[in-house]
This record gives sequence, C-alpha cells and structure tokens, in this order.
Amino acid sequence: METLQYTLRKLITGLPLLFGVTLISFALMVYFGPDLTYELVGKNPTQEQIERVQSELGYDQNFLVRYLDYVREIVTLDFGQSFSTGEPVADLLARTVPVSLALTLPGFILGNLLGILLAQIAAWNRSGWLDKLIMGGAVVGMSISFLVVIIAAQVIFSSSYGLNWFPVRGWSVYSLADYLYHVAVPTLALVFVSLGYNTRFYRAVFVEEMSRDHIRTARAYGTPPIPLMLRDVLKNSLIPIITRIMFSIPMIIVSGSLLIESYFGIPGVGKATFDAITTGDQPVLKAVVSLTAVLFVLVLIINDILYKWVDPRVSLK
Amino acid sequence: MSINQPANPGVDGRLGPDEPVKYKGPGPATGLDSPLRKAVYKLRRDRWGMLGLAIVIVYALIALGVVLGLWGQDWSSTAGPRWAGISAEHWLGTNLIGQDIFNRALYSTRTAFEIGLVVAILSTLLGALLGALSGFYAGTWIDEIILWKKGVLDAIPFYLFVAAVAFALEGNAWAMHIAMIATFWTITARLVRGEVIKLKNLEFVEAATAIGASRMVTLFRHILPNTLHILLVQGTIVFVSAIKSEVILSFLGLGVQEGTSWGLMISESTQEVLSGQFMNFIVASTMMFILVMAFNLFSDSLQDALDPKKVH
Amino acid sequence: MNRPLLEVDNLVIEFETDRGTIRAVDGISFCVGASETLGLVGESGCGKSVTALALLGLIPSPPGRVAAGSIRLDGRELTGLSEARMRKVRGKDIAMIFQEPMSALNPVFTIASQMTRVIRRHQGLSRRQARAAAVEMLALTGIAAPLRLIDDYPHQLSGGMRQRVMIAMAMSCEPKLLIADEPTTALDVTTQAQVLEQILALQSSFNTAVILITHDLGVVAETCSRALVMYCGRLAEEGTVESLFAHPRHPYTAGLLESIPALQASRNRHLPTIAGAVPDLAELPPGCLFADRCPSARSLCREEHPRLITSGRDGRVACHFPVQSREAYRAALVQWES
Ligand SMILES: Nc1ncnc2c1ncn2[C@@H]1O[C@H](COP(=O)(O)OP(=O)(O)O)[C@@H](O)[C@H]1O
Ligand code: SF4
Ligand SMILES: [Mg+2]
Repeated sequence: METLQYTLRKLITGLPLLFGVTLISFALMVYFGPDLTYELVGKNPTQEQIERVQSELGYDQNFLVRYLDYVREIVTLDFGQSFSTGEPVADLLARTVPVSLALTLPGFILGNLLGILLAQIAAWNRSGWLDKLIMGGAVVGMSISFLVVIIAAQVIFSSSYGLNWFPVRGWSVYSLADYLYHVAVPTLALVFVSLGYNTRFYRAVFVEEMSRDHIRTARAYGTPPIPLMLRDVLKNSLIPIITRIMFSIPMIIVSGSLLIESYFGIPGVGKATFDAITTGDQPVLKAVVSLTAVLFVLVLIINDILYKWVDPRVSLK
Repeated sequence: MSINQPANPGVDGRLGPDEPVKYKGPGPATGLDSPLRKAVYKLRRDRWGMLGLAIVIVYALIALGVVLGLWGQDWSSTAGPRWAGISAEHWLGTNLIGQDIFNRALYSTRTAFEIGLVVAILSTLLGALLGALSGFYAGTWIDEIILWKKGVLDAIPFYLFVAAVAFALEGNAWAMHIAMIATFWTITARLVRGEVIKLKNLEFVEAATAIGASRMVTLFRHILPNTLHILLVQGTIVFVSAIKSEVILSFLGLGVQEGTSWGLMISESTQEVLSGQFMNFIVASTMMFILVMAFNLFSDSLQDALDPKKVH
Repeated sequence: MNRPLLEVDNLVIEFETDRGTIRAVDGISFCVGASETLGLVGESGCGKSVTALALLGLIPSPPGRVAAGSIRLDGRELTGLSEARMRKVRGKDIAMIFQEPMSALNPVFTIASQMTRVIRRHQGLSRRQARAAAVEMLALTGIAAPLRLIDDYPHQLSGGMRQRVMIAMAMSCEPKLLIADEPTTALDVTTQAQVLEQILALQSSFNTAVILITHDLGVVAETCSRALVMYCGRLAEEGTVESLFAHPRHPYTAGLLESIPALQASRNRHLPTIAGAVPDLAELPPGCLFADRCPSARSLCREEHPRLITSGRDGRVACHFPVQSREAYRAALVQWES
C-alpha cells in the first residue's frame, strides 16, 4: 500500500520530466527537423499537392498547436506508421527491441558481473600489486575507443586475417546456435569497453564501504574475506550498484546499442531510431523518445523501491 | 564516462553517474594560497600523472605546430598511390585514396584539441554557472528549473540527441560541439551544486554576506573560486569524453565536417581492415589511445592531488 | 597473578601520511592479567584505539602497520600470525566493543543474523542453537525481552540497546580478553552507568580480562585495578589505581587529576583539560613530548627523552623529574602559570 501510494506520487512528479523530454524531442526532431514535404508528395507534385501534404504534416500550424498534437498522439499511444516504410510503429518496435535486447544484454550483464568481481578483488587487495594491476588495466581499457575495440574484435575473431570464427557482420538468428554465433563478438566488445569503467566505479564503492565502522566490527569478529566481501561489503554497496544498473536499462531497452548495430548491420532499435532521425521519420522518433522517457521515470520509481528492499533504513516518504 | 560505453547506456555517451567521486573541498581558501600550492606539490611527485602531463604537452605542441602551419598541412592531397607502404615520402604510408597517413594523423591532433578544448571549457563553464546558481538558490524555482533541465537531458539517449541537434542545425560544423556541450555540463553542475550548498553555510561566506557583499558577489567571488578543484578535474574528464565521442559520432556521420580527425581515419579504416590494410587503423587508434591514456593518468593524479579525502 | 594473559612488548605502530611516516604508538609495553581490569587513559589521538586494534591485528593497512613489537596472548605470539589464524583469535579469544554504537553494527542485517554468524563461526553451532545462544546472551546483558528485538535492524534500537547488543556479541564466545574502546562515550549519562555495570557484571561471571579504554578518570577509579596513562603514543605512567590517584608520579597524570576537582561528585565524563597543545606527531620535538605543557620541565627535559623507570612497588613512569606529591605539583603549577 505504501509502495503503491508512493508510486502514484512519484509518477506525478515524473510529469515535468516527460513534458521536458517531449518538448525537446519535438523541437529538435520535428519542428526543426528535416522537411518531409518532398519525400511524401511523390514525383512532379502540383502546388496543391504540396500544400495538402504540408497541412497534413501540420507545417501550416504554429509551434504550440503542433506540440500539443504531438503530445496527444503520444498520450493516446497513437504512434501511427513509419513514414519511410509504412510499417506500423508498434510492429517496428516489436521487431527491433528484442533484437537489441538479445544483442546487448549478455555484454551488459557480463560487463557488470566481471566488473564487480574484479572490483572486489582489487578492493580487498587495496594498494597491493593485484589492485594496481587491475586498476592499471581499467585505465587502459577506458582509454581505448569503442570503435577501435569493435574493429579489433572483428579483425581478430571474424576476419581471414585473424581466427575467422564468427561472422563479419549481420544477424540471421533462427536458433540458439545462430544466436551464440552472432552475439559472441559484439558481447566481447561490449564487455571489453565497459569493464574498465565498471571496475573503477565498483571498486570506489567497495573501498568506501570497507572503511565503515561495521566492516571493522565484522573483521574484529573474525569474518573471513569471502563472506566479508560478498555479504557485508556487497550488500551494503547495493544502492550505488543498483542505481548504476537501473539507469542503464531504459537506454538498453529502448535505444539499444547504436554503434554495434550500425557497425555489424544488425536490425535493432538503435539503428532504426538513428535512421528515423536521418530521414525525419517522426512517428518512430516520437515512440522511441517518449518510451525512453517513460521508462526513465519508471526506473526512478523502481530504483527507490529497490532501495527500500536492500536497506531497511530507507523509507518511501 | 564517455560514449564508448554502450554496455551501460544509462550513461551512454555522457558523463553519467560515474565514480562516486567525493569532493570534500577545501575550507575557506580563496585563490592561490596554500591548499593549491600543496596540491601542485603533490601532483609533481606523482610520477604517472607527470608522465601523462608530459605526453599531453607533446600532443599540444604537435597540435600547435599544425595551427602554425609547421607540419601536417598536406593531409588532404590525394596525390599519392593508394595504400602505399612505408616510404621516405609517406612515412606511414597512404590510405585508400592515396592520402598521407602521417600528415592526416598530425592534422587530427589539432582537431582533437580543438574539440576537446572547446567542449571541455564551455561545458565546464556552463556546468559551473548552472550548478552554482542551482546550489546557491537550492530549493527555489531557479534550482528546480535547472534540475529539471538536467533530468530531461539525462533521459534522452545521447547519440539521438546529437543526431537531432545535427539535423536541426542542418549540417553545421559545430553541431557536434554544441550537442556535447549541451549534455556534458550536467555532471559538472551536479558536483558544483553539492559543493556550493556546502560552502554557502560556511562561516567565511556568512561573514562576507554580513559585511554587505551582494549575493552575486558572494557567489562569484567567494564561493565559485572554491569549486576550482572540481572544475579542473571535470575539465580533464570532459576533454577525454569529447575526443572519444568524436570517434563514434564521426563514424555515424555526425562528427567532424571539415578537415580530418582520428575518428574519420578510424571510420575510413573500417573499409580497409577487411582487405588487410591496417596502417590507417593502427596509426589513428594508437595516436588517440596514447593521448587519452595520458589524459586519464593526468586526470587521476589531479584528482588525487586536489581531493585530500579521496579514497585510493 | 601467575603468567599474565596478555603481554605487549615494545609495540610500535606507524602510519604513512602525506607528511611522512608518523609513529602513532611508540614502543609501549604492558601486561594484562587474567580477569583483571586494566584502564587505558589519555587524550584523544594519543593512540589508545590504535593500540587496541593492533591487539586484534586490525591496523588499517595501508596506511598503517605494526612496525615492531610483540603481542603474546597466553604465551602465544600474535604478531606475524597468518590472517587465517588471526581470524580464529578475533571474537573468540579477544573481543572488542567499539565506541560508536550507531555505526558499529551492520545496518542491513538483523541483530540475529549478525550475532549468530559470530557464534556459529567460533562455536560451530547449528543455526537454531546459535539463535538460542544469542537470545540467552542478550538476556544476560540486561535486555528484558530479547526475542522482541533480535529480529530488528540496528537502526530500530536506541544507542544503549545497540551497545548492549555489541556487548552480547562480544561475550557470546566467552573471550579471554575483552577490549572496550570508550564503550560509553557516545551514550547519555544514565545509560553510561548501566552499560558499564553490565560489562563488569559479565566480566566477573565469565572471568574475562578487560582493557577499558576511556576518557574518564572517574570510570577508571570505579572499575579498574590498574591503569596506563598514555601521552602521544607513549606510556607516561602505569600503576595501580590507588597509587595513581593518591601519588601520581608523572606531571601529566597529576595534571589530569588536578583538573577534576571533585571526582566522585562530578558526573562530567570528559577528560579534564590541561593547558597547551599536543605536539604534532609528524614533527616531534626532541626530549620529553610533554615539556611544553609541563610545570616541572627543566632544560634536560628538552634534550633527552625520559625513559620508563620503575616507581613505587609495581608502577612505572617516564619522567626525568617525577612529581613528589600532589601538593608539590600544585605549587609548581601555580608558579609555572604565573
Ligand atoms: N587511519 C589512519 N591514518 C593515519 N593516521 C592514523 C590513522 N588512525 C590513527 N592514526 C593516527 O594515530 C593516532 C592515534 O589515533 P587513535 O588511536 O585513534 O587515538 P585515540 O587515543 O583517540 O583512540 C592519531 O592521532 C593519528 O595520528
Ligand atoms: S620529563 Fe620533564 S617535561 Fe617531561 S614530564 Fe617529566 S618533568 Fe615534565
Ligand atoms: Mg579512540
């Protein structure tokens, strides 16, 4: 009950955020976005045809009217059809979002788990050689461009100049084996590129947590390293960890990984959205941007509820 | 944090919630007195940080030489043979349309510094200004509006925002810079806001107000200078983020529009590596890696030196 | 007293700081007999907590380390013991109660979970047995209805209750030595007395030796048989409580006693203040570290470090010119102040 009330209250406080996101996305992507008239009128249009299309697109209306229209379509979930392909936007999302999830989730999960593991090892050996090695590796990892990682992974694992184990690009997935075959190299690249950041972040959290009095108490009563790190330190560090992970989720779900999808030619939602921006495909943009924002607000709420779940001192007031 | 982190797209491309860096800033120190001198002393003893700084300076000199026309001027000439090997004429060979890779790499250094400096300075200033106002007027509508703007920017995927800005500005060469500045300020603002809230309750600030200093004078003369340590560190972090983001944005066609850059070279190389031509790729990515690495080392030791309570 | 339970010999603890290596504890030696109560007194920062942590091998490292010395418990050397062996000592042979009841317990685990973990680890009991033992122990610390709070989280308890839980946890494995590091400083006055009584009651029923670290000379007078006075990481004076209070030998001890006018009457549990400041550990002067604050100081004091000499029957003092009597000290003080 408390949680429900809290959720409702939080949803209302999320409204200004939704307002801001829709306003910015409308202004940038629609109002000042590409002019679609000539893409929609067909060849050799007459002046009348042009005017008809422009009025359909609302180009003859003022900013406010057009913005309200945009919001109305979002609120009524009336996203319509893609301008470029005619595909219903809902279908487009249903087709692309699962691909992006399947593509990025393994890398995301592994990147975080490995990051936590390495950070625990580093924090436990603070200032020792193992810590220095891990943290040095993290700085090196953080200094390599994602694009470079992708190219290197492709050359090493997928080209005839390297091991040639995996496909160069594409996503023709019909079975689990296909999936593993196609997801391996992107996952590797995603893990590599996020590991440095994750390890540094989590290590800082753990080191901070290990300086707390109650960790000193736990050690003074003979807690061995593994329970100490995995139970006492980790459970007390869950709030920053959850926050970091939760706030990544809207972006993964709705926008996927544009770079990976573009590079490997994978039909995910990131690529679809990017194409929508370049062609001014408003229905698609509207859907993606507003869904991201809504998810963002939901994440804010779920995050607070999770806080309460991991830390008994937190109350949802 | 930089765009090179799609596995955590929550911070995808922005200086999102990164390390829980805690700036437990200095006391009532204004300007260049002992805490800063102490920090400089500490910084100079940090070998890795000094190595990083030395490398950054070498790169800066290379960039300056390009600006002054000393080298790297022939980056666009397509006179050479395609994919030439290493020779006296083309020290590092040529790319697929016969451009000299060595010259392009030098010229790209200039591009990197231009992007890094413009974005780092402007976004840090913007973050400082908005963060300071937000913190100074914490709890008022000014604060609310600034926090709201931050929240909104955080809720829009970075590269979609850049793409949208780029298209809204119709291919303007500065679209990328503008988009980065417009998003990278948020974390600086968050840190400055926290610090200002802490500082404004300190005695010396109250004393300044008591002797009749106006609120704006108090904020900009007495409070903001004490956030310098945050701004310096943030500046270096944003610099790195900007040049790393450039690579991805250039690959997507949203980046550098005039001249060349490491990002454009690496993007070109995507068509070359599968034919076994690695020079462009290796040169551009190594040049960039060394600079980013050096900056990261310097940034870390700067943070150590300026923040006495940072956990190691 | 046969062989002492704990023998600390020439303990040196160093910290690496921005300003160089500092010696937080510089060569202190002492013993604790079985079931004895030893007081450890001194101003804040003089190295009391660090000494206690060293006994458990818990000096935070980096930046700290035990640079020299020997710590023997029941004749067994603890310094240089492997981590795994040391873990068997912690909580089992030596238990510690900390100053801050607010933060010393883990906020995200229940009392039951934290206590049973310790009990099970050291006594190998089943979950149910351990829980029963925890309940029993809580009852022994004077908690009226242990079952009602055992499944609570620390933040749901008051400071006094939390400190009782700490005591119950400390005594749950019947340690040979209990270190109580300012166990009552953070509590209000009435609770202070109760908690202290509770510690003493358990001590006598379990025959535990106690090192009581405190700011409060009154507490020492009431509870301890012997006391150590520390100053700047060194031992200033050691003696039985009666002799320390009646015939302080070190000017620092005398000064501490002078600045509490009516010991019994005063419930002001703060270490009395002495004029002047403690020297900076990073830049120690030669000679006696107390010289700048000492009414009896002469030129020798600033040149030569006073060594620990025996005084009286079983006391020791580190002073070139020990105080002859409290009256003599008072006279010197008046003269020095003018
Ligand atoms: N983690 C640490 N880092 C550096 N110095 C420390 C640390 N802990 C303690 N010290 C040093 O040891 C001295 C003694 O500290 P402590 O034992 O806590 O004093 P107290 O007698 O008040 O318990 C302090 O003055 C400080 O200089
Ligand atoms: S040695 Fe000298 S200065 Fe030190 S306490 Fe004794 S009399 Fe005072
Ligand atoms: Mg202490």
